[in-house]
Amino acid sequence: MGRKKKKQSKPWCWYCNREFDDEKILIQHQKAKHFKCHICHKKLYTGPGLSIHCMQVHKETIDKVPNSLPNRSNIEIEIYGMEGIPPEDIKEHERQKQGKQIQGGRPGSPSSGEDEPAPKKAKPEGLLGNGPGPGGMMQGMMPPQGPMHHHSMAPMGQFGPSMGHHMMGPMGPPIGPPFMGPGMPMMGPMGNMGGPPQMNMGMNPGSNQPQQNKPLFPSAATAATTTASAPVGADFKPITSTVSTPIGPVKPTFPAYSTTSSSSSQSSTPVTSSSDTSQKVALINTTGASSKIIHPQEDISLEQVRARISKYERQAPVKTVDSSTSTPQPQVEEERRAVMPRYQPRPAMAVAAVPVSVAAIAPPVSSVTIMSPMAGPPIMRHAMHLGPPAAMLGGNMNMMRPPPMGLPPGCT
Amino acid sequence: MFNQSTLGASSSFGATNTPSSANPMKDFEVTSPPDDSVSSLAFSPATIPQNFLIAGSWDNNVRCWEVEQTGKTIPKSMQTMQGPVLDVCWSDDGTKVFMASCDKMVKCWDLNSNQTMQVAAHDAPVKTCHWVKGPTYSCLMTGSWDKTLKFWDTRSPNPMLTISLPERAYCADVDYPMAVVGTAGRGLIVYQLEGKPQEYKRIESPLKYQHRCIAIFRDKKKSPTGYALGSVEGRVAIQYVNPQNPKDNFTFKCHRSNGAPNGYQDIYAVNDIAFHPVHGTLATVGSDGSFSFWDKDARTKLKPSEAMEQPITRCCFNSNGQIFAYAVSYDWSKGHEFYNPLKKNYIFLRSCYDELKPRSSS
Repeated sequence: MGRKKKKQSKPWCWYCNREFDDEKILIQHQKAKHFKCHICHKKLYTGPGLSIHCMQVHKETIDKVPNSLPNRSNIEIEIYGMEGIPPEDIKEHERQKQGKQIQGGRPGSPSSGEDEPAPKKAKPEGLLGNGPGPGGMMQGMMPPQGPMHHHSMAPMGQFGPSMGHHMMGPMGPPIGPPFMGPGMPMMGPMGNMGGPPQMNMGMNPGSNQPQQNKPLFPSAATAATTTASAPVGADFKPITSTVSTPIGPVKPTFPAYSTTSSSSSQSSTPVTSSSDTSQKVALINTTGASSKIIHPQEDISLEQVRARISKYERQAPVKTVDSSTSTPQPQVEEERRAVMPRYQPRPAMAVAAVPVSVAAIAPPVSSVTIMSPMAGPPIMRHAMHLGPPAAMLGGNMNMMRPPPMGLPPGCT
Repeated sequence: MFNQSTLGASSSFGATNTPSSANPMKDFEVTSPPDDSVSSLAFSPATIPQNFLIAGSWDNNVRCWEVEQTGKTIPKSMQTMQGPVLDVCWSDDGTKVFMASCDKMVKCWDLNSNQTMQVAAHDAPVKTCHWVKGPTYSCLMTGSWDKTLKFWDTRSPNPMLTISLPERAYCADVDYPMAVVGTAGRGLIVYQLEGKPQEYKRIESPLKYQHRCIAIFRDKKKSPTGYALGSVEGRVAIQYVNPQNPKDNFTFKCHRSNGAPNGYQDIYAVNDIAFHPVHGTLATVGSDGSFSFWDKDARTKLKPSEAMEQPITRCCFNSNGQIFAYAVSYDWSKGHEFYNPLKKNYIFLRSCYDELKPRSSS
């Protein structure tokens, strides 16, 4: 690019002398390269900030700014973008730039008193004119400039580090996008969603989405827009009424317990205390060295354990034809039988107490078992006293009502 | 404490002699509680002015009480299913209650007419039911031990949509446009409900033990953004669906007994988690019979409770966050040997608004 008088119009990094198209990119570069904590990769804003972070969080001291030139590694100098650069460094940089441009066409002359910008030469190349060229480039240039070679070595020292650590190709414009990547990983996928969610929000004025900057389900937003346009009827338009879009067969996504459900032969009821989760019958390792999980060893939910008890199954009337319908696993039956005998004496009492008479209030309720109060206190408790019907509860309730009473005294 | 009836704390039925050991937190006791363990609790939504509490129980019944400002509870009505009730939920307009049962059905209870009708069916007990209210559709989501998740338009006998799950549904929660299901085998799936329910992501469980309860939480703008998942090993995981920083997700231990320094620590299951509708802080209840309030943003415990005589099986907040209800009843965590059908089941109500205020500055 052939601009002669740059005049420091392009921001450059004080730590490594690289130039950037604009200050924002410069700052991103600094955060990613110079102000990034090597331990936790947190990006700070300034050199002193990084030093304080490492001290406080990791208890480590930092003595030089990462990826910086040797004479620019002072961590205590507070640089942010182009701010904070000491004036003499600014001048030096300007001189160097001018020197570079002047030097560009004149191979061989050891630059009139300036520092050695010579190796950059670049004007004919057009590359270095834009900024600190990548090391590769420079080195590539060197050989052709035979006579320059000597001079080129010296300045190498100064620019060495920058060559060494540069990661991407030539200068300004290409630097931008790659920085976007590591600097803002989140923006990538979100950025793509800028379009569709906007559409979506337009269609769903009532939804919560417009309030968020980021849609909760960006990948789904595009899918939703196609179907969200009209109110959905009794079935979602593309879906027929019966089974559809099953996610797929049971995937062994959770290998730890993948053997639980079907087919595993059930040994007797959960045996020893220290059983592994990898056994055929999925068990919870309930007893540890110093702790114990208060839960049945079998790795099924408490409700499932309880539902197997005959007492609860018996309440389900004829509809449950099989005895094994309440749980999907056939092997459960064996256990249940093991458990049942112990339970037999109980149900007589418990079952009597459970079905509630007051449910008769609403005749339409299906299969209500009406029991006349006989077992004393437990039943009396059921006499839900209805009181004056609340506005929202309808008239049926008045039909059969026990005399209004609260909990009768003495009935705990 | 000395054995006295907690007159001050109980409802107006002064005659109930509840020993303070059964109500150590001195909370309001709900009258005429269920006769068997409480499996589900739900307060009416904000769309109706009064507070109604619904409780489903292992005695096959679903009971409804009106809860007054004074703490007095008035039993209103009851319905019966053909098997133990496993879950209950309200419709968004507060006129209907859905009841999911071991009888493999879900019924809709119209409170105005006091009639019920079946609205859903599965091949195995229905463990969860949630009402989904979106801008373009509303429906009932039911999860069952038959490894399916079904969505029902209550006017039709066939499901609008059936999604198969990797395993039996153990817990679920819905907050439009997000739904999340925890299954057996430590399965965890997030669904997005916009347009039509679809699986959004299957998540590797952050917990090493069986999933037991799950609750969605919202961000500062009141949009659902993550969930809390509880396991049987006294641990809760707080997870964001799209975390800005992987460290945003964390787990914490809870419902464990300290025990002697060289003795065993007893680890109890987390039976339920509920988020405060205003503060965004959460409550957990466990098999150890205690509840705790937590601030997930400050990552701190706000308040523990004394232990009840039995496990706490469920909990919920009312729509404005003034009342915290918790049910004390046996959850089967020690097997059937420890089941005593004569032991009374309780539902307590606590005035909790101030106790759940967040600790964090924001």
